[in-house]
Amino acid sequence: MSEHHDIPFRLNLPDFDSIHDKMDRRRFLTKTSFGLGTMALGSLLGNSCVQNSSKIITPSSGDLESDILKAIPHLAPKAKRVVYLFMSGGPSQIETFDYKPSLTNMMGQGLPDSVRNGQRLTGMSANQGILPVAPSIFKFNQHGGNKTWVSELLPHTASVVDDLCIVKSIYTEAINHDPAITFFQTGNQLPGRPSIGSWISYGLGSDNDNLPTFIVLVSKNAPQDQPLYARLWGNGFLPTKYQGVQFRSGKDPVLYLNNPDGYDGEDRKEMLEYLYKLNEQQNSAYSDPEMSARISQYEMAYRMQSSVPEVMDLSKEPRQIFELYGKDSKEPGTFAANCILARKLLEKDVKFVQLYHQGWDMHGGLPSAIKKQCKDTDQATAAFITDLKRRGLLEDTLVVWGGEFGRTVYSQGKLTATDYGRDHHPRCFTMWMAGAGVKAGFSYGETDDFSYNIIKDPVHVHDFQATLLHLMGIDHERLTYKFQGRRFRLTDVEGKVVKNILS
Amino acid sequence: MILSDILTFLGRLHPMIVHLPLGFLILAFLFRILSHTEKFQHLNQAVSLVLLAGTIAAILACVFGYLLSLTGEYDRTLLRNHKWMGITLALVSFVFYLLSSGRWITIPDRIFTISFTGLVLLMVYTGHHGGMLTHGREYINLKILTKNKRIKPASMDQVYLYEDVVQPIFEARCGQCHGGGKNKGGLSMESINDLLTGGKSGPALVSGHSLESELYKRITLSVSDEKFMPANGKPPLKSHEIDIIKWWIDHADGLENTKLTDIKGNDTIRNKVAIVLGMAPPQENKEEVFTAQKINPNIPQIFDSSAVENLRKKDWKVRIMMHQPAMLDLTKMASNASDIKDALADLKKLSGNIIWLNLAGDKLTEKDLAFLSDLGNLERLRLEGNPVSDELCNRLKDLNNLEVVNLNETKVSPIGLDLLKKSPSLKRIYSGDPAGK
Repeated sequence: MSEHHDIPFRLNLPDFDSIHDKMDRRRFLTKTSFGLGTMALGSLLGNSCVQNSSKIITPSSGDLESDILKAIPHLAPKAKRVVYLFMSGGPSQIETFDYKPSLTNMMGQGLPDSVRNGQRLTGMSANQGILPVAPSIFKFNQHGGNKTWVSELLPHTASVVDDLCIVKSIYTEAINHDPAITFFQTGNQLPGRPSIGSWISYGLGSDNDNLPTFIVLVSKNAPQDQPLYARLWGNGFLPTKYQGVQFRSGKDPVLYLNNPDGYDGEDRKEMLEYLYKLNEQQNSAYSDPEMSARISQYEMAYRMQSSVPEVMDLSKEPRQIFELYGKDSKEPGTFAANCILARKLLEKDVKFVQLYHQGWDMHGGLPSAIKKQCKDTDQATAAFITDLKRRGLLEDTLVVWGGEFGRTVYSQGKLTATDYGRDHHPRCFTMWMAGAGVKAGFSYGETDDFSYNIIKDPVHVHDFQATLLHLMGIDHERLTYKFQGRRFRLTDVEGKVVKNILS
Repeated sequence: MILSDILTFLGRLHPMIVHLPLGFLILAFLFRILSHTEKFQHLNQAVSLVLLAGTIAAILACVFGYLLSLTGEYDRTLLRNHKWMGITLALVSFVFYLLSSGRWITIPDRIFTISFTGLVLLMVYTGHHGGMLTHGREYINLKILTKNKRIKPASMDQVYLYEDVVQPIFEARCGQCHGGGKNKGGLSMESINDLLTGGKSGPALVSGHSLESELYKRITLSVSDEKFMPANGKPPLKSHEIDIIKWWIDHADGLENTKLTDIKGNDTIRNKVAIVLGMAPPQENKEEVFTAQKINPNIPQIFDSSAVENLRKKDWKVRIMMHQPAMLDLTKMASNASDIKDALADLKKLSGNIIWLNLAGDKLTEKDLAFLSDLGNLERLRLEGNPVSDELCNRLKDLNNLEVVNLNETKVSPIGLDLLKKSPSLKRIYSGDPAGK
């Protein structure tokens, strides 16, 4: 039935006339005039430009992109993989890691102007008559070898605090969710730039040909209050194949991997081969980069048919593992199940795994909401660290935990003895990292008594991004991509590696 | 652009071509002098011809010299003098040719010879100017014979900030382009006056204000900036040198003849001056220590790329961790004895380059892993899951750079682990059962 598939393509078949026609006068002129123009321009400019630059950049192949990629890694990497647990919505630092006991005495008093210092607030609390200081109603205890203060909301995380490098002085420029999260993931508040995972995937390539280099998992057991967009793991202007691949948070993380009963898949293979030839044909006619991206995606999808079911199969995980991660972990799509999945992906050398857990945006009713959020994530997070550590994977895996901004010390809305809310706060908040290349059992940076301003060792979002790239062996200033006439990088024109947290 | 390159190329032939008129004119002069003796009287006939050759050569030298002057890398006054002297010389040579040919007017022999001496002197002087342009004003200078070389000060009390410290830095770092008659960008850095006069971008030095001084701005730009100095990839100034220059501009007002110890607050800069004068060992810059990671010096700078290609064909993942030295991270998970056997030849070629190795799986025994002994620079080894036993530990303990080894779910017993723990380099051993099977 499918014999005709074996007949090789012949371009003189009438079926291909339309393709031939595409190479019409107009197209010929644009293609060739551009080509000739560049050649002429090259010989005009070439000498002076190349002569001047070749003294510095040797040996140049003449292709900027490949020169940049060839120079990577710029330094010996400490981390081989990254897993980024993104707590979307802005978790409160005051209820988790930034212990401010002196606030108790100030409960209900207005936030001093000397602390706020004229800072712009969001429209949600800017018109409040008073900005009443709200201490955390949750207790803090000291944990680990360095007696680190951790909230009672995070008992499991507290038990692995000796493995964490807590940064209490991170700050951002954006005050609302979308720009802030876009800023964290892409280095720019406006959409359109590549995300961290795409940059890493572009710069370092893949360590496992059968799985995507950059995989995204979104928890389903979280309030979907603030939306997440696929552009947060998008490739921006980088070639399409470097975008993050989102796995579904259901029973089947990738749909249609299994063949229906009674179907052996032979003719699909044939169909795909045929499609590949067709795409190649288009590709050679148009040289459209989207075409090669499409071809490589199809190939990846085909390989994933065998690699994904194996990696996604949690049935072989022993009982102890599910006990370690908590009872949620048996239900696919939860944060805990995603953590196990992430560990399995890391075991397969997937380079960048990003988990998103929404629901940290607590403008009102914070005490009860944060209790639930912590309960959903704390045990699995700690289990994840423990599990990676036992397997020796923490040696070369960097774990990052954090949101897009912090929350205000004052209550948004009414402050009572048992209830309050907190507005967005970009000026200081807490993140932690663990694993490859960062100091373990270490706290960095300090905030004032109100957890409002940073008083020591500020770390900007770009500094964090620069540090992350540094740990992967990349000098953030040298990983650039030319687009629309200028070169872009993840950290724009800023970013300093935070040397003091490196081990 | 191409045309100007050709012109520059021709221009650069000038220093060679100038030797033609030199030779011809001296030869003509020699013939002329000798012709006054009886024995060589006949040579007088040749003078005219040699003078013609000298004139043509001089004109050629002028043309090429003009092309060279277009590159604009020379001291302008010197250049102007040299140019006009050269042109004059060519004209005068032509006049002498006409005179000697006897077709124009005849003048007495003696007067001709004496004025010929003048021509030769003009030629020597022109040549000297040319020499100053390429080699520097001070290149041929009687002062060299009498000049006292500055003696290195013996103690900090004798140090003159500009003369002993700053000027030597300029000379060493900037002199190639901004000294000795070569004034790129119109700037000479031979004296403080030169700096105050400056170049195309205005004065290089603003007394007392380093941040307004072009000199300081240029050396502190980003290395990739096209205005950065030293230009063209020459090594940037060291941070202590930059600090000294800044301090000199700000605290010594960029003046000469000032003793370091006469300026208040010199304690901040003393150490750095001592480094430049070789009185103290160079301090290691923190920044440099940070970027230069601690790296095992025994790792080869290059690796055998054909061996890497071979391994990749056999489904090994080879990750380049660093280019220089060449550090590799090899992964071949779930491999069996024959996979290893197939790869042995290539692994051997890369033995010094393999820094991380991941052979996690469930089939390898210590017999398959004999090659590990060759991997002297190995730092991290993953063997989890493989049925390896204590015997392997004997082999591993001799790897002097091994820091982390993963023996989870293997057959290694506490006895083997004790053996391993004797290795001085080993920092962490994983030897548990993480899945709790």
